[in-house]
Amino acid sequence: MKSRGVLLLLLPFLMAGCKGEKRMTQYGEMYRERPAILYIAPVVDKSERRAVRSIEDSVYNAAVNAAVKQLYLTASNPLVFNGYYVLGPMASAQLAATENRTVKQLRNENINDYYDDLGIDAVLFLTVNSWSSTHNSWTVEVEYTLRSTRTGSEVMHSVVKATKLLPTDFKGRPLPLGEDRAFAEKYGCDLETAQRCRLVETLNLFVLKDLPAGNRARPVSIERYVPTHAEYYNLQINPDGSVMIVPDDEEQ
Amino acid sequence: MAFVTGCSGQYKGMPREEVLAYQTHATYGELHALAVAYAESINAAVKEDTLHPGMYADYGVTLALMGRRGTACRMFNAEVRAFPESRGMVRRIKQHLLSDMMDDTLAQLHDTANIGQLMGWAYDSLTALRPLPWVASIVDSSDTAWIRRQTPVDSVQREIRLTANQKRELLEEQQSAAARARQAYADSVAAAKQAKMDARKQAKVEKEKAKKQKEKDKAKADKEKKQLEKQKQKEKEKQLAEKKKEQERLAAEKKRQKEQEAIAKQKQREQEAAEKKAQREQEAAEKKAQREQEAAEKKAQREQEAAERKAQREQEAAERKAQREQAKGGVE
Repeated sequence: MKSRGVLLLLLPFLMAGCKGEKRMTQYGEMYRERPAILYIAPVVDKSERRAVRSIEDSVYNAAVNAAVKQLYLTASNPLVFNGYYVLGPMASAQLAATENRTVKQLRNENINDYYDDLGIDAVLFLTVNSWSSTHNSWTVEVEYTLRSTRTGSEVMHSVVKATKLLPTDFKGRPLPLGEDRAFAEKYGCDLETAQRCRLVETLNLFVLKDLPAGNRARPVSIERYVPTHAEYYNLQINPDGSVMIVPDDEEQ
Repeated sequence: MAFVTGCSGQYKGMPREEVLAYQTHATYGELHALAVAYAESINAAVKEDTLHPGMYADYGVTLALMGRRGTACRMFNAEVRAFPESRGMVRRIKQHLLSDMMDDTLAQLHDTANIGQLMGWAYDSLTALRPLPWVASIVDSSDTAWIRRQTPVDSVQREIRLTANQKRELLEEQQSAAARARQAYADSVAAAKQAKMDARKQAKVEKEKAKKQKEKDKAKADKEKKQLEKQKQKEKEKQLAEKKKEQERLAAEKKRQKEQEAIAKQKQREQEAAEKKAQREQEAAEKKAQREQEAAEKKAQREQEAAERKAQREQEAAERKAQREQAKGGVE
């Protein structure tokens, strides 16, 4: 009984220790670099747009464009919550306007000047690779790369394929979620745009929320640690709001 | 594999609705609404002590884009004060947007004297009210130098030189200016809210209009489609009728041809029958003639035979008579 009690007392510490070790191995570069000030570069959108032949094509293109904007807007929130200093979207856009190099150049070339002149520790690059959909699901593949401005190394790299599933009625037709409807009403957009926007928002949240805490980290009452550390993985958002993460075997 | 519930509700602060609206439609109205939303968010965050990094900078950018350069400059400086690590980035943004205000002391007003802030408000209010002709004339004629002179450094230096009387007058003047500025600021906020509401109403009306137009277009398209279908149906019916007519004509022709063929066959049959009859009659006549000839021949032959037999009988009778007479003669 005594040993069991001791074990029970030690269990939280043991669990915390395991988790810390995990993070240390998963985000070794992050811990070595310890970036505190991040800058989100403009999103690189590699996904295809439809040639406009009908209204549906225009609606699709507008929805994808809005989702890409939403991806950029919502990327800073989880980072801020984790204690990093990140400029807001308006200021980031102005900072990007002062830059003469393209995002591709920023990603590949030397960006020491970001550290020397602006004091930025790392730059987050977001790349939308593709969009796809079925009758009751939306899928997006996004690549997250965090590059150190001091050493130029990639301190974090994730390629995530996120799928949002919608519930279906007895005939197999998709039923829009109430949250999507609320989003559409709030932003004055159509349901397709709302579903895509909410997908990228959730994706940002789940990919960026468990980075090692920055120097301004706020205390969190419930630890929502999910191992989203693998470089390639699939993320599935179920109709009930739960999220399932499956490591991707086919590393590209 | 792990299941986690969504927790997007935790992250609040940035007015994302307005930012998305502005990024989608970059109009002055949206920019104004965004500035108001940022101001409200910052006020709420300051009250709750949960200031979001970059909010002052974002608000500053919004104000700078609106042309409210003084307040924008102050907001940038506030960002640097709240988050010193942003110094480099904010400096770059200021260089980009407010290059002439890099060493502007107007921003320091906020720190050194409350009066400077009021003057800043006055400047911003006048800039905001620039469309009014008399305000524009003041702003343009003085080139805002009269406000710039009221920077804290200047005011501190002047403070030493001013007499108590002048000080009081200046204070009164500044207080009234501040009151006017506050009123103007409140008016501008109310106007912004009204503009936002109007824009929303307008958007709603436009949306309804677009919806109605869409329905109208749809109804028109349906009508055209129906008409097209009707026309197609008519053409089909016409084609069917023509086909039927053609078929009937062909059937009638066939019938006529059949009848003609039947008549021709009948005629042929009759002709053949007549020919056969004539042949039969000829044959019968020939046979009759032959029979008559044979009968005549037979009759002639019979008559000849009868005559011969008669002659023979007469001869025999004569001979027998002669014999009897002879016999008679011998007896005697």
